[in-house]
Amino acid sequence: MTVLDALFLVQREQDPSLSFRCACRVGMCGTCAMSIDGVPRLACKTRVRTLGTAVVQVAPLPNLPVVKDLVVSLEPFFDQWKRTLPKFRPRDPESKTLAVIPHTTAYARQTPSKRDCITCGACYAACGVKSTSGEYLGPAAVNRAFLRLADPRDIAVAERLAPLNDERGGIWRCHTQFNCTAVCPKGIALTDSIARLKRAMLFPGRFEEL
Amino acid sequence: MSAFAVQVRKYRQQFSGMTAHVVQRATGLLLLIYLFLHVHTIRQLRDGPAAFNAALATFHSPSFKLLEIALLGTVILHALNGVRIMLLDLGIGHERQRRMFWGYTVGFGALIFLAGAVPMFLNSVWKQ
Repeated sequence: MTVLDALFLVQREQDPSLSFRCACRVGMCGTCAMSIDGVPRLACKTRVRTLGTAVVQVAPLPNLPVVKDLVVSLEPFFDQWKRTLPKFRPRDPESKTLAVIPHTTAYARQTPSKRDCITCGACYAACGVKSTSGEYLGPAAVNRAFLRLADPRDIAVAERLAPLNDERGGIWRCHTQFNCTAVCPKGIALTDSIARLKRAMLFPGRFEEL
Repeated sequence: MSAFAVQVRKYRQQFSGMTAHVVQRATGLLLLIYLFLHVHTIRQLRDGPAAFNAALATFHSPSFKLLEIALLGTVILHALNGVRIMLLDLGIGHERQRRMFWGYTVGFGALIFLAGAVPMFLNSVWKQ
């Protein structure tokens, strides 16, 4: 039984007013993220038995405004997400030819393990910096910006670097706590993306290597 | 549950990276307190050698020697983890960060600590 199953059981048998969010139930939509025994996880991917505790504590995701019970508003998360221009900005939008990305490029190496973000907000909730700084972008937004910046077809470099390099909300706020990497249900090495951007900014001559 | 309780919960996450972060902050605070004590002692020189020697004499008691050994451990943890953080900030060793903390900061640090703490203990606390 997963934590999500347990929540449905509670809703059916004990408290019909209990509110929580879910959609796909197979860990691909990122809707059911919540704090389970103090750690942000997907309720549908967390089995009660593996927690090893007699009483499972569930709470809404920290760092986000609570709407009701276990439901939080992801608006601050997506506000930060939008700041780094998550959309693809191609060099030539009218181009009809397929772009070739050689396997040797940083984009080809980094993308497979980092593009699986389902925007569940677990990293955002686990981040210790995010809990003290409302302006910090948060791991997911930085990872998204990292993928866009590593993409050789994308041209919106300066616009993305501005919020990333921002003194109050940019990547320099990251304290390499690795909480985001530890909680990510997709196993994305978010701290690694942040560190790669830091290094790229320190050594601009090697920016292509990311 | 209060908003504060929800905020505090995340510090209960026992992930190595977070533990390293908390260790770095805690040892940093301890070193800051030590620094004030250190500057305060050095400052006694202004009142002449006699006053400085009198101030130093208080640190020769066995209990202060134990604190000195604790200081050694604090400095080692802070310094080694500081090197770890610098490497991580440069993007080096991210996939090995747990091992870097437990093996290098704590394990290797413990070896250096013992190498320094045992003679310190035997020479100052044990003999007295």
